[in-house]
Amino acid sequence: MRAPAAALAVALLLGGCAPRLWDLPPPPVIDAPVVDAGRLTTADLENGLRVIVLTDRRLPRVSLGLIARRGADSVPIEHAGLASLSAELMKRGAGDWDAVALAEQIDRLGASLAVSAGWDSMEVAVSGLSRDFDRLLEILTAVVRRPRFDAPEVESARSQRLASLEQAKDEPATLAFWNLARALYPEHRFGIPIEGAPASVAGLDAAALRAYHARVFVARNAILFASGDVEGAAFVSQARSVFGDWPAGEVPEPGPPPPTPTPPERSVVIVDRPDLGQAQILLGHDGIARTNPDRIAVEVMNTILGSGGFSSRLMQRIRAEGGLTYGVYSAFTMRRQPGPFFVSAATRVAEAGRVVDLILEEMSAARDAAPTPDEVQSAKSGIAGRFVLGLETSDAVVGSLVNLDVYGLPADSLDTFRGRLGRVGVGDVQSAARERLWPERAAIVAVGPAESLRPLLERFGPVRVVEP
Amino acid sequence: MAAAAARLGFLVCLLAALAPARAGAIEDPAANTRTTTLANGLTVLTLEDHTTPVVSFQLWVRVGSKDEMQYSGLAHLFEHMMFKGSEHLAPERHAQILEARGARSNAFTSRDVTVYFADVTPEALPLVIELEAERLAHLTIDEATLSSEREVVLEERRLRSEDNPNGLGFEALFALAFRAHPYRRPVIGWRSDVEAVDVEACRAFFRNFYAPNNIVIAVTGAFDSEDTLARIERAFGGLPGVLPIPRNPTLEREQRGERRETVLFDLRSPLVFAAWHTPATGHPDAEPLDVLSSILSDGRSSRLYRRLVREEQQALDASGGYWELQEAGLFLAWIGVRPDASAERAERLLFEEIDRLRETRATEEELEKAKRQIEVSLLRGLRTNHALGHRIASEYVSLGRIRPLDERLEAIRRVTLEDVERVARTYLREDGRSVVRVVAPPAAPDAAGPS
Repeated sequence: MRAPAAALAVALLLGGCAPRLWDLPPPPVIDAPVVDAGRLTTADLENGLRVIVLTDRRLPRVSLGLIARRGADSVPIEHAGLASLSAELMKRGAGDWDAVALAEQIDRLGASLAVSAGWDSMEVAVSGLSRDFDRLLEILTAVVRRPRFDAPEVESARSQRLASLEQAKDEPATLAFWNLARALYPEHRFGIPIEGAPASVAGLDAAALRAYHARVFVARNAILFASGDVEGAAFVSQARSVFGDWPAGEVPEPGPPPPTPTPPERSVVIVDRPDLGQAQILLGHDGIARTNPDRIAVEVMNTILGSGGFSSRLMQRIRAEGGLTYGVYSAFTMRRQPGPFFVSAATRVAEAGRVVDLILEEMSAARDAAPTPDEVQSAKSGIAGRFVLGLETSDAVVGSLVNLDVYGLPADSLDTFRGRLGRVGVGDVQSAARERLWPERAAIVAVGPAESLRPLLERFGPVRVVEP
Repeated sequence: MAAAAARLGFLVCLLAALAPARAGAIEDPAANTRTTTLANGLTVLTLEDHTTPVVSFQLWVRVGSKDEMQYSGLAHLFEHMMFKGSEHLAPERHAQILEARGARSNAFTSRDVTVYFADVTPEALPLVIELEAERLAHLTIDEATLSSEREVVLEERRLRSEDNPNGLGFEALFALAFRAHPYRRPVIGWRSDVEAVDVEACRAFFRNFYAPNNIVIAVTGAFDSEDTLARIERAFGGLPGVLPIPRNPTLEREQRGERRETVLFDLRSPLVFAAWHTPATGHPDAEPLDVLSSILSDGRSSRLYRRLVREEQQALDASGGYWELQEAGLFLAWIGVRPDASAERAERLLFEEIDRLRETRATEEELEKAKRQIEVSLLRGLRTNHALGHRIASEYVSLGRIRPLDERLEAIRRVTLEDVERVARTYLREDGRSVVRVVAPPAAPDAAGPS
């Protein structure tokens, strides 16, 4: 146990041996900017396209990308999978290049092209050597502005998507997340994975994908970004020449928020996988939005509860003391609309009930009693350090700046983050736990042999057994 | 410091201006690595660079699962025990103290090495050094922590192997391809061995292998080299060396004939794995094998993706690669078969593509593409202090030196189509391959209900 500072001072006065560095308390959080403004360029083109560039010439490489500020969240529930299948199709042909030619173009440059759909955004990212800059920008522009959505490609991608939805059932963790989402949001878009469900994916055709692309990828809804061996002002003018005539368009409406949680009742879903020796447990309830003003206090609270590695209470009880799991963690999934809070752990089947007990106990304990000042200080200084490490590469800095913009958060949020973190107090952390943890209305999902799991879990609430 | 950096920058510009223009010459950020060896044999690699306020401290122990004598999985289980307390620190305190400084710290065990790392902001580096020295000098291993950690490792084993078709497949593949060499054992160990390891075995393992002369430390990023070396000398200099470090003598003999295994598991998407014996790390065929692997499976225009995923629609993914270990190598290929396709057909297509590489020469375009892909991926691995530390330490441990980036790039650039064809013919032979399929058990007769 760490000695209090006063005791240390006494030890020093008494002439004891020099204190070990680990006996000193973690340093206070420093309030200082992190973004090197001298390397950053931002601009808004006339059509509303925002441009963000961070120059970093250490290596002769460059990352380019474009983010649209809407994603799967803006897709109606009956079209679940639309955003994600559109992303796949954007990789399958653009401009004069069909799917094979586009893949050749990218691989010939040793480049990478990723198109992905999130709940709140769509991202196209291209990276490669800076000497191929013009070619990389040409690829990015084509993929963003002129994806082909060729009918045979749509057909083949849809069939592949249906196959991978089936394949995903081989992964216990995926099954757990799918079933938790379904339990928490039975009527809302969040109840179906971003990738869609077989019934909705089967109905997606080229016309639907094209319409989605045309709605979301418009200048006013997008941010173009670059980092690496690229000059800011030059990039802005290149951006103007290839995106200047891109229609401004309208920013699409986000989807409706999930319904307010129903009155307290705990429930259990068992996904029957008779072959497994380990139960995958996922427990969750409603959480908070990315823009929630209490977000940092919630993050400190969650670090103490379950996301702080070996310092977290869940890890200490369930892994370190109990030997019951390889890993347990908790997280708030923050989206434009409030996403779920969850705790995840895998344990041998016979211990499933005990692990759920321990998780619920720790959630209640976090809500019922204030954390110690030491816990809060350690969590804050840990978050501050990891925040700095997380911004080591220019790609990461730009990624964070773009993310802030997607959620309409202030552009200086990275620079002010540690200051705001430093001001979070013990009371804020306990309030966060009181307002955000609901062990009595958690949905509990377990993937494993239903026959053995049912008797272990039925005391937590009504049990429903489902097939994968 | 700033002045020195500016001067160095000037010097580099000057040299660049004088040197003949050469396409793609890249300055190696690891070029200024300094190697120091303490009297007790501990090697310290320091690479100072103040561009970002991040330091990576990595401690590489030259011990992996290949060095286990009695219990498989001991190297990995022991890695876990390194977090379970020492004379002055309770179990988990090491990790907790680092986490409270924002460190990203962890450890991993491979077949050849065990690595402990902490990526931190610069002010925490002295603390990291003190903590690492504490557990090397004063580790506590007792029955209570061993029993509890053994359960943690068995959970890890369930997660990664026993309940995981990919893990099961790779476990079977290594046990099939290697008959004699200790590489055949899974790093996490066979369950019965993990269950049987005792405190005395852990202590002996610690004494035998965790000696300063068996350790390489790499520090990269924003720190002062003089100060850090002095701190490392003070913290680690007193640890006694151990000679000799015991090693297993067993080598693999030549494989004569194809080997096959089927693993039954309740799954929807079958898996196919294949392995061929290739040279150990440091062999001149490494670069042709890397190029071969890139032609086979790097990107959507690669042969496996185009044939198996795109054209024939038999697979959801198809990967391959040359995997170099210290005492042997494997060329691996693995396929995630579509639930609506058959493992037999996917496997046949895979081997058709392998045969095509053996029988007909790849094209000039494929060769150039592969070289570029490898070059870009090498650059991608230089972006963080952690990645740089990993690179210099792993090269030092496996090659005995830090290989200049240019040397590696030149070796890649020199690869010819003939080289690629030659290594395909030499190594990817049908009578030298091992094949594992993970498939669902046949449905029991009574399971099929009336339709």
